[in-house]
Amino acid sequence: MRLRVVLVVSFLLSFAAPSVAHAQSAKIRLEGDWVRIDPDGVGSFGGLSGVIPPAQLLPGVSAPAGRGGRGGRGAPPTSGSGGPNPEGVPYIVVAQPCSGGGPGRSNGALLVNPDSGGIHFIEHKDEVIFAGERGGVRHIYLDGRSHPNVWTPTPAGHSVGRYDGNILMVETTGFMPGMVPGGGVRTAETRLLERFEMLPDGNRLTVTYTWEDPKVYQKPHVYRYYFDRAPMVESKGTKVSYALEEWCDAGDPVEKQSIIPPKQIIK
Amino acid sequence: MKRFCVLTSVIACLVVLPTSARTPQEQRGAPDISGFWELSFDSRNVPRANLLPTLTRAKLDARAKKDAYAIRWCNLLGVPFIMDPGRPLDIRQGSTAIIIVPENSSPPRYLYTNRSAHISEDIFDPSTNGDSIARWEGDTLVAETVGFHGEHGITAIPGGGFRTEKSRLVERYRLLKDGSILSVTFTWTDPTVFRTPHSYEFRYQRLPATYEPRQWLSCDPFDEDRAKFLESPPSAKPAARAVSKE
Repeated sequence: MRLRVVLVVSFLLSFAAPSVAHAQSAKIRLEGDWVRIDPDGVGSFGGLSGVIPPAQLLPGVSAPAGRGGRGGRGAPPTSGSGGPNPEGVPYIVVAQPCSGGGPGRSNGALLVNPDSGGIHFIEHKDEVIFAGERGGVRHIYLDGRSHPNVWTPTPAGHSVGRYDGNILMVETTGFMPGMVPGGGVRTAETRLLERFEMLPDGNRLTVTYTWEDPKVYQKPHVYRYYFDRAPMVESKGTKVSYALEEWCDAGDPVEKQSIIPPKQIIK
Repeated sequence: MKRFCVLTSVIACLVVLPTSARTPQEQRGAPDISGFWELSFDSRNVPRANLLPTLTRAKLDARAKKDAYAIRWCNLLGVPFIMDPGRPLDIRQGSTAIIIVPENSSPPRYLYTNRSAHISEDIFDPSTNGDSIARWEGDTLVAETVGFHGEHGITAIPGGGFRTEKSRLVERYRLLKDGSILSVTFTWTDPTVFRTPHSYEFRYQRLPATYEPRQWLSCDPFDEDRAKFLESPPSAKPAARAVSKE
């Protein structure tokens, strides 16, 4: 009897072993649609930036001219009033809307530190694609490749990653010089470590950014962004989410128009 | 014996349960079309489209002018252009969608495999890529796209015609030659453009897995020299020669 038990158990385990291994690798999927959230309730984009701890730069290091990770439409001069503009006075005048394939919007730079646009992940065993609704794609290679020896710096750099349990760990180098949230700076030698970590229910994503560069920082510059799964919408009786397409036509004069405070009915 | 049965049941659960954690594609053992893919000079089999007689030369010219505008102003380019963008495509097969990433500033395509119905017209904003859903039929991935924007992007369809908001595209993706070739057959139907469905085939060649997608070339709509180049007819005069008078 005991021999029979051992034999049957051994037989079944021979099938179970790979499945158990698969179960261990079966992870909470990062794949899908996400939107950045404001967990501290600061209530504004400026506030979101304000809660990022200031980078501790080495003496003599200063931010380069130009825009850094955020990118986006042609640098808009702001009204600078600090308060609400009076009726009819525009907040922003965009001289050159939709930077098109320029260095700000394109090439995934926006996805190094995403803004309010939706972001999307597709997970494949060899590569994770990280795409944004406001433009750009990052390629995160999981196939074991190294950073290239010869690399022309790009806005999004070169990323390689690996899974540590359910956490996607990504290392990026080869950035074009630019700014980093919290007053930081990046150069072609700067290394960014990103940790994409989800809560067990799979609905909250925390990205921990660690910028390292002994020529720039006194100590690694660390901060976090938080994301929720994109809201589902009802379509034909089913809840779905999907990637939107942000259309912007630089040739359309309307794109140059700004938000103009309307006449206030209630004073 | 009772203990034996319990033990057997537990192990059986270990065998079966993880299977349910696999993606539907993994469970079905569908092919993986992921990789870097490139078109070569002999990769296209594109017959002439059978267009409606109402599509006059003037209408086709007007449409071509709109496509030129999209290029001039660095608009999003969309389908079908991004399937033949002049550079390799990165295709990755995930658990909910297959993404097709071009090396230009147009957004990637998502072929959703996690739903069988298109997003309701009531809520879907027509786009240059449309709404794509895909399913496996044996070794063939069949993708269907609707919800195209009729004006945005490059609308020209290989072989003739253009996409409109009434266009429907069915693509059939199939690996050939041990996975070294990806055949994609495109079939467009549109009651406002084609007399009969218009089909053509591209055969993409697989690039080495170590390929590194290049940074796409910038497109600056406010570059006046570029605008002049695109909007002016090419000069028939030979370029001025710098001849030294010795």
